[in-house]
Amino acid sequence: MSGHALLELRGVDKAFGGLRVVSDLDLRIGEGEIVSVIGPNGAGKTTVFNLVSGLYRPDAGDILLDDRSVVGLPPHEITKRGIARTFQTLRLFLNMTVKENVMAVQYGRTKSTPLESVLRLPRARREEREMSRIAEEKLAFFGQRLIGYRWDQPAYSLSYANRRRLEIARATATEPRIILLDEPAAGMNPVETHEMTELIGRLRDEGGHTILVIEHDMHVVEGISDRVVALDHGVKIAEGSFNEVAIDPRVVEAYLGLRQADTK
Amino acid sequence: MGPGGDIPNRPVPPDERGRPRVGVDEWVAQVEERREARTGLTGLVTRFVSAVPPAGRLAVFGAAAATLPFWMNRGDLFTYGIFTLLYILLGLGLNIVVGYAGLLDLGYVAFFGFGAYFYAELSSPQYGIHWPSAASIPVVVVATALLGLVLGIPSRRLLGDYLAIVTLFFGQAFVVFVNVGNPTVAGKGLTGGPNGLAEIDPLDVFGYELTTRTQQFYLMLIACLVLLTGLHFLSESRTGRAWRALREDPLAAETMTIPVKRLKLMAFAFGAGIAGLAGCIFATLLTAVSSGNFDVPILITIYAVVILGGLGSLTGVVLGAIVINVSFQFLAPENPPGNARLLFYAITLLLLALGVRPWWRLGAILAGVVGLGVATQTFVEAVAPGWTGGPVVDGGRLAGAISQWVVIPPAGHGRFGSFAYVGLVVAILVLTRLRGWIRTAALVPVVYLAALVWENSFVEQPAVARWILFGSLLIVLMTIRPQGLLGTPRVEVA
Amino acid sequence: MDLPLVFDSQLATQLFVNGLTLGSLYALIALGYSMVYGILKLLNFAHGDVYMVGAFIGYAILNGLGGPISPTIAVAPLIVLMFLGAMLGSGALGVVIERFAYRPLRDAPRIAPLISALGVSFFLENSVLLLLGAQFRTYNSFLLGSDHPKQFIPGPLSDAVFVVNGVNVQLVQILVLATALGLMVALTLLVARTQIGKAMRATAFDREAAAMMGIDVDRVIAVTFFLGSLLAGAAGVMFGLLFSQVYHLMGFTAGLKGFTAAVVGGIGSIPGAMLGGVLVGLAEAYATGYFGGRWSDLIVFGILIFVLLVRPSGLLGTRAIQKV
Repeated sequence: MSGHALLELRGVDKAFGGLRVVSDLDLRIGEGEIVSVIGPNGAGKTTVFNLVSGLYRPDAGDILLDDRSVVGLPPHEITKRGIARTFQTLRLFLNMTVKENVMAVQYGRTKSTPLESVLRLPRARREEREMSRIAEEKLAFFGQRLIGYRWDQPAYSLSYANRRRLEIARATATEPRIILLDEPAAGMNPVETHEMTELIGRLRDEGGHTILVIEHDMHVVEGISDRVVALDHGVKIAEGSFNEVAIDPRVVEAYLGLRQADTK
Repeated sequence: MGPGGDIPNRPVPPDERGRPRVGVDEWVAQVEERREARTGLTGLVTRFVSAVPPAGRLAVFGAAAATLPFWMNRGDLFTYGIFTLLYILLGLGLNIVVGYAGLLDLGYVAFFGFGAYFYAELSSPQYGIHWPSAASIPVVVVATALLGLVLGIPSRRLLGDYLAIVTLFFGQAFVVFVNVGNPTVAGKGLTGGPNGLAEIDPLDVFGYELTTRTQQFYLMLIACLVLLTGLHFLSESRTGRAWRALREDPLAAETMTIPVKRLKLMAFAFGAGIAGLAGCIFATLLTAVSSGNFDVPILITIYAVVILGGLGSLTGVVLGAIVINVSFQFLAPENPPGNARLLFYAITLLLLALGVRPWWRLGAILAGVVGLGVATQTFVEAVAPGWTGGPVVDGGRLAGAISQWVVIPPAGHGRFGSFAYVGLVVAILVLTRLRGWIRTAALVPVVYLAALVWENSFVEQPAVARWILFGSLLIVLMTIRPQGLLGTPRVEVA
Repeated sequence: MDLPLVFDSQLATQLFVNGLTLGSLYALIALGYSMVYGILKLLNFAHGDVYMVGAFIGYAILNGLGGPISPTIAVAPLIVLMFLGAMLGSGALGVVIERFAYRPLRDAPRIAPLISALGVSFFLENSVLLLLGAQFRTYNSFLLGSDHPKQFIPGPLSDAVFVVNGVNVQLVQILVLATALGLMVALTLLVARTQIGKAMRATAFDREAAAMMGIDVDRVIAVTFFLGSLLAGAAGVMFGLLFSQVYHLMGFTAGLKGFTAAVVGGIGSIPGAMLGGVLVGLAEAYATGYFGGRWSDLIVFGILIFVLLVRPSGLLGTRAIQKV
């Protein structure tokens, strides 16, 4: 984690009506890293994602992408700069087709005006073809799971696991530099979970994305992470390799609630 | 939201009818079944629509519409042809705002009114300004779009229902303003108060005035075809997809490079602009405007056009406009009641044919209705002869049959129709609660009662009847098929 | 028209009395909107028409018992009967509407019940038009109980109870105010104290969780519609008594005003609806008094839009928290 950081949080604070959800959080993620954020429920993990993607504004501190602050930018602008995310609760465009879901999010990369679209002028047509090509390419990344005949089906017809995959495909279609994955393996069976673990690795190796992931499944965390950050009550309590963090007494305490004050 | 918060995964209660709730896994698993299951007329229409590509559908519609002037008289061309096209225009604009962007704009009709009034100011003796259409229409359309932009500003902050409220009040404020407000500008009431503005110049194409209905019809048809094509392209473009994305989930759209606020404003402006265009055309067609044309009933009619066909579907708008306008015109007070009666019996038969299977059961019901009619008539004649023999309103060739079948008391039994009507409403409500063969059997008296009500009270007040039927249509449509005829079932997972 | 531009305390007080009376009527309508919205998140556009039907039921009872000039029973029980009939009738109507037009749409997209509500509104207005015609029906309430119809001696209802510095407070105004206040107190107690009130609050808070806890949600919703419509029916009779005339379109404007009141106060909030109603009534009375009737509606709507833009959740409403 030395050297250049792609995404950096400096002393970020966030409180909701007196309850401090994230306090004085520092985080550096280097280009090409896969970093997992772990912590018990209510530790502030999703809040960190909401802060980074611009849905919340930090009370204090700064969030930098490539040394440029993104604080105060509207979320769509932040995504355009290269931070995409998925949602723990799955927020697909359910009544649009699978392919449309992936095409819609390329809005920020394209430029043709409504008038050009209405008249089908050359730029609009070229961009349409390109969006369609990119969408198919992103979906093809998921192999048999999201292939061919599913493209023109509405997103609501997908199974739960496929919805998670489509959310990731949708996030990659914004051509992000860093993807925030919020519990990508939640609600999946062991086979699917294993697939997801491999997929996250491929997203980095083949897709070239840096990845910040929230995950509860420790097998997944162990399998993918270059580095693990543990949060509890909005405070970073441990950071390092999976093996280091997993045995850290504060992490154990946060998860199991054991009183280990004496050993500290 | 609270710390780390997400919506908790609640256990999902089963649907009242025992079906899995929309969106849950069991429901998802049955998607194909449901798609297969669509039979009957809607299934037929849906299959036709999905089999014919959009260009083909447009060609069919354009070609069929283009023949109208050859076989319709002037009056019918105006009421059936031109007004249907006008509803299509209005529906297309509303479809952008509500169908694509999912913004509940209940002030839409005010843009229509604004367009009409503004055109009237620019091309009428009101202030002695007589701009040619080629100048005033673009000005009005742009001005209306800008007004839409202004009204769209609250949409940046207000969500869902609150937006509906503010826009509804905007619409009301417009009506009150032109009707009662009528401020004095340059020595004259700006909007003419309840009288409105009159003697509006006819539509002209670069100096050539379109005065015949046929000319106006073709111009509007061209406008509709062009607009349908353009909107189809727009819908299948980055803008159209972004609108639909923000309708589905504004927050997800916002985090996916889509500038939600700007797109909402754009949707308002586009919708308003089209409504402004429709307003201009409306003003030239009627050569007069008054506030009554831009009130809530018209708003709801436009909503019905868009919803009947299926929100977000261009084919749906065309279909909705045809169905709504044709049935409205049949029930117009100027229309001879005989036509409305034909429509009534035809639709009753059609509904029975659609709803009752197999055919022998349908036959039994029809026979039952006829038999019940004759029996009732005979009974009443025997017991209280004073209650029969009333005149059949505009019966034509059917008069004889109807008077033998439906009890029509002569004048002096004014309450009869009212009681029959209340009875019919109650009977229909009860009917919806019945199941199985009892329901089939109960259909017989209900259909007969409907005929009784039709012949005794609706036929004399078709204008009232049409709003009653229209209101009922909205309720029934929403209960049975909220997605409209062509729409696919919408899923909303809270 | 000459507008009284100079502040005139007598006029201002008179307008205050008128506004307060009108406002209590709006508050009753607003309560129905608010309760239904609180529990179903549904804008019940048909509510104004339930109020209209209530007014007509009152009219029917009045006429059925001999009419305003020579009623067959004493005035006091007659008025009680009118209120009771209208309230029960409207309440029942509200339950029927909910059962047939809204309940099948609980899980449908948000726009569906809204359109259905508009359909109900059309249906009710035009049914009344079909059955009773378009003419205004007159309550003649100011003649209520008068023995001399031909001399137009006003009956006891229009008697001034207080006359202070020229400000007139009529018996009918007192009657309306007292009835409205009584109903509101009763409603507040019902919601705060009783079992069904608790169930209503729980259902409004989280319908699914309430259902899990064994609350019969369908019944709670039906009761909510009954209570809301009952208040609207009472308001309908009050309108008839106050303004003497009822007609089939009266529900639309009054519905809009009641709706404004509910939103201004914070839709979903019961005290908010009461506050909003009084504010809208006062605003309308003062706007009419000082600027003339033709601007009063615009001013009322303007207040609504202003409040919504400044405080989107209304004066007493709580801001909904958006979950991510």
